[in-house]
Amino acid sequence: MPNLIIDDLPIEVEPGTKVIEAAERLGIIIPRFCFHPALGSVGACRVCAVKFLQGPFEGVQMSCMIDALDGMVISTTDAQAVDFRRHVIEWLMLNHPHDCPVCDEGGHCLLQDMTVAGGHCIRRYKGSKRTHHDQYLGPLLQHEMNRCIQCYRCSRYYQGFAGYKDLGVMRSAAQVYFGRQDDGVLQNPFSGNLADICPTGVYTDKPSRFKGRRWDFERTPSICINCSLGCNVTVSARHREVVRQEARFNDKINGHFICDRGRYGFAYVNAADRPRRAMVGGRPADIDDVLLEARSRLARTMAEFGPQSVAAVGPLRGSLETQAALAQLSEAAGWHSPAFYVDPKAAEIAAMATARLEDKFTVSLRGIEGADVILAVGSDPVNEAPMLALAMRQAVRRGGHAAVIDSRSPTLPFEHEYLPVAVFELDVAVGRLVNFLCEDVDTQQLPAHAAAFVDECRKLPDGRFDVYLQAIARRLLAARQPVVVCGSDIVEPATVALCADVVLLLHHMGIDGKLFYTLKSANAFGAARLGSPAANVASVLRSVERGTVKALVVVEKDLHSEFPDHERLKQALAQLDLLVVIHYLDISLASRADYFLPATTIYETGGLYLNQEGRLQTAPAAVAGGRPIQQTGGGAHPPRQYNRGIPGDTPQEAWRLLLQLCGEQPAREPLLHRLEDTFATPGALTGASPVPPEGMRVGHAVNGVAPFHHDWQAALARHEQLSRDGQMLLVTVAQTFGTEPLSCRSPWLEALTPPATVRMALETATQLQLAAGDQVVLDIKPQPLTLPVVIEIGMAANVLALPRVAPHRMARRHFLLTRNRIKKVDAP
Amino acid sequence: MPSAIEAIEALATGFATTFKHLFRRPITEPYPEYKRPLPERSRARIVLTRDPDGQERCVACYLCSAVCPVSCISMQSVEREDGRRYAAWFRINFARCIYCGLCEEACPTAAIQLTPDFEHCERDILKMVAEKDDLLVDHCGKDTAYNFYKYAGVSTDVGDKGTHVKEDKPVNVKSNMP
Ligand code: SF4
Ligand code: SF4
Ligand code: SF4
Ligand code: SF4
Ligand code: FES
Repeated sequence: MPNLIIDDLPIEVEPGTKVIEAAERLGIIIPRFCFHPALGSVGACRVCAVKFLQGPFEGVQMSCMIDALDGMVISTTDAQAVDFRRHVIEWLMLNHPHDCPVCDEGGHCLLQDMTVAGGHCIRRYKGSKRTHHDQYLGPLLQHEMNRCIQCYRCSRYYQGFAGYKDLGVMRSAAQVYFGRQDDGVLQNPFSGNLADICPTGVYTDKPSRFKGRRWDFERTPSICINCSLGCNVTVSARHREVVRQEARFNDKINGHFICDRGRYGFAYVNAADRPRRAMVGGRPADIDDVLLEARSRLARTMAEFGPQSVAAVGPLRGSLETQAALAQLSEAAGWHSPAFYVDPKAAEIAAMATARLEDKFTVSLRGIEGADVILAVGSDPVNEAPMLALAMRQAVRRGGHAAVIDSRSPTLPFEHEYLPVAVFELDVAVGRLVNFLCEDVDTQQLPAHAAAFVDECRKLPDGRFDVYLQAIARRLLAARQPVVVCGSDIVEPATVALCADVVLLLHHMGIDGKLFYTLKSANAFGAARLGSPAANVASVLRSVERGTVKALVVVEKDLHSEFPDHERLKQALAQLDLLVVIHYLDISLASRADYFLPATTIYETGGLYLNQEGRLQTAPAAVAGGRPIQQTGGGAHPPRQYNRGIPGDTPQEAWRLLLQLCGEQPAREPLLHRLEDTFATPGALTGASPVPPEGMRVGHAVNGVAPFHHDWQAALARHEQLSRDGQMLLVTVAQTFGTEPLSCRSPWLEALTPPATVRMALETATQLQLAAGDQVVLDIKPQPLTLPVVIEIGMAANVLALPRVAPHRMARRHFLLTRNRIKKVDAP
Repeated sequence: MPSAIEAIEALATGFATTFKHLFRRPITEPYPEYKRPLPERSRARIVLTRDPDGQERCVACYLCSAVCPVSCISMQSVEREDGRRYAAWFRINFARCIYCGLCEEACPTAAIQLTPDFEHCERDILKMVAEKDDLLVDHCGKDTAYNFYKYAGVSTDVGDKGTHVKEDKPVNVKSNMP
């Protein structure tokens, strides 16, 4: 290990560490523009110059280009190096526009900081400046090319790290230009990171354009809840308005970056139509009165019809506190156990995925970057859990191999092998894979149930993909760090269990395989543990229709947008004696509820969240509640009056409201105890030590779910369903923008959301006598849908994919359709 | 002994000065009947000035509000159709302002300026809170020439890329000619 001395301080680093990083470890931050820990070194900007006094190099050199070596003695403050850096800044300024006052980077601009630090303030150069035209890059980023200092961070990130090709570098020498071939929307769903990494104001965040300077923002660490990964963000708020989100480094989850869904999905918190008052039958009322009244009505219903006449529906992406409060209250009062999932299958899948994730299988999102073989089953990373795609890309960039078995022909920003397998055929494909994995295995060596499982897999019929599956099996067997990624959105519960079995089998064979599930949403993990898989919204509605449930408490769930059969929902709700709704959005149910109580969002009161890996993270409150000044002032100056109250600050945490609704003290401590019990981690939440910054895993596997149990009969029957009766499988799928219920309220992402279409392979379309662009009617319940046809090369045969974008946002995941229920609309 | 002499000497000079002044013309000015013209750069009531071409100078850069030691300036910046950045609202709380002049010093566009007009005093403190309309004047103030957008690189009504002071024509990125 190299030993060196920087500014008289000795340090020992791993071989391959750059001098700039070694210095950083000593707390010496050498100026840099082009160097970035995620992007590496290129030596483009020359501002990291230091003086090498002794050792293998001598003189002024770039600290980002030279590996730390034994015997080096380096000075960062040597007069010659300082003078060199000063000149670098001066030449970078030769062409720099006089823009700071109108530049949104000002206040957190690396170039501005370095210019001030270097002491350059008077322009000596008498010549003129080169200029550039800017480009329109879409609704998320503003382009101002004059400000570029040619550090190449943007093109290295965009093409190298993220793997998208539509932004890059053009021309040469002093005229280098970073942009697109032509104006147009950036094709990269991770493009917002450009605003974070560009050290100048070339790419600035458009939604927060001119909204304030960094020094005026209240900046708070927080967590993204727009998918199950739980990436870390920094929230900037000003004047009671969340104005911007940036990526926050987390070594175990997202690294330095986040996706655009997470970055720009916050608009709902500022929405002018957010309900900020309690209501009785749709009319505003005082929150304490509403609580009191609702509480006595609830007590009356329970007294009259018994506690089982009350049911509660809870949120997937709510805080753990809210989920725990629901579970606790339902249990204590003897209500139905709370339903978090709308679709019964989804609940079952989540329960399975969280139960099977053993400690020895777990791998963090960041850990995937180190995988050498990745097998993704039923997963569409960019659309379901965007940052997973970037993590997989890093693994592939480092020489790893990725294979994807799915129906949708996922578009992925890296080289991968893809097998188009219909959803219902996934199990059999994985079974065949197990067969190939164990080709040379003597089942006698395996535990009995594993051996039985392998034997059954060996009996499966040959399939179309055997050659490829065999190759994948070989790779897995030779792998040092294989990871099986399993989506949970469109697959069957059996597939989720099978993936865990594959990994367990690898372990039995002495291979340290890892398992990475993605779940339906943030805190779906918590919902799976705190709710029972048998409880779901569909069954609650049935009980309401039967008349056994008389009172319904709906917490942070928009039944209307998730439950497609609005007519049925309406009738069921009309049958209720009592409907209490707690939410932070203006859902249509709010005005129809007997009692409505306004809740806060994660931004206003924070909370505890579990990601898909069972990693617990905590988010503090980022903004005081209340209507933004932008709204109270109507865009003009804030109202000219003194008063003590904050307008619109009635909302409270859902768990607080819930506890009060049931007449309990609104205390958080008991909920934390309850959570500690659920996750068998005594003292983790109430103890003295806080949750560590990278989060901690508390969602351990639960006993009682037997591995290697598989109903192959059912799997084969499902498998044949499609081929046999010529049925088509309509799958409702997630999409990066437009299907996640919070982020789809963002106007900027709405602008990026493609319109709803139904996608299918060419051969499927030919069978149905359809062509691209045709309008087709899908005869499904509750009402038929008319959509344009899009041909997607590589999709599995007999599968139609329908993104769950508005207005087709439905909880049901699959529809089996006979061909006569798919009709082309003839042009008039 | 020498200290006694020094003390007497000092007393005598003091009395002599006072005595001399008894025969001077008084310089007391009967304010408010007479208002003495103050130097142009004396620091009192703040205004927002305009460019020589009559447009609002303030680009709502937030620098004056950042530098203000008593935090009495607040504003909201927005973009105009033509690319100009300006203040949607701009508020100075004169009840809090200490007339230190730091905002004027920080202003990169010569927009905010202190004027000699010191006479404002109200019973209702809210009347001391000035909005943009109260602050905006229709002249250039002390700097009669500066127009920020002529020097900046951004495209506005004042000029497109390459037309500002000391700028080359924009690079044609689709050509390889040097
Ligand atoms: S990029 Fe930085 S230095 Fe350049 S104008 Fe913007 S804030 Fe100023
Ligand atoms: S646009 Fe920004 S990130 Fe890209 S090279 Fe220029 S300064 Fe660097
Ligand atoms: S990948 Fe998921 S958690 Fe991460 S930023 Fe995107 S939406 Fe948020
Ligand atoms: S410093 Fe000048 S330009 Fe900037 S906000 Fe204040 S008055 Fe406006
Ligand atoms: S950081 Fe070393 S050359 Fe740019």
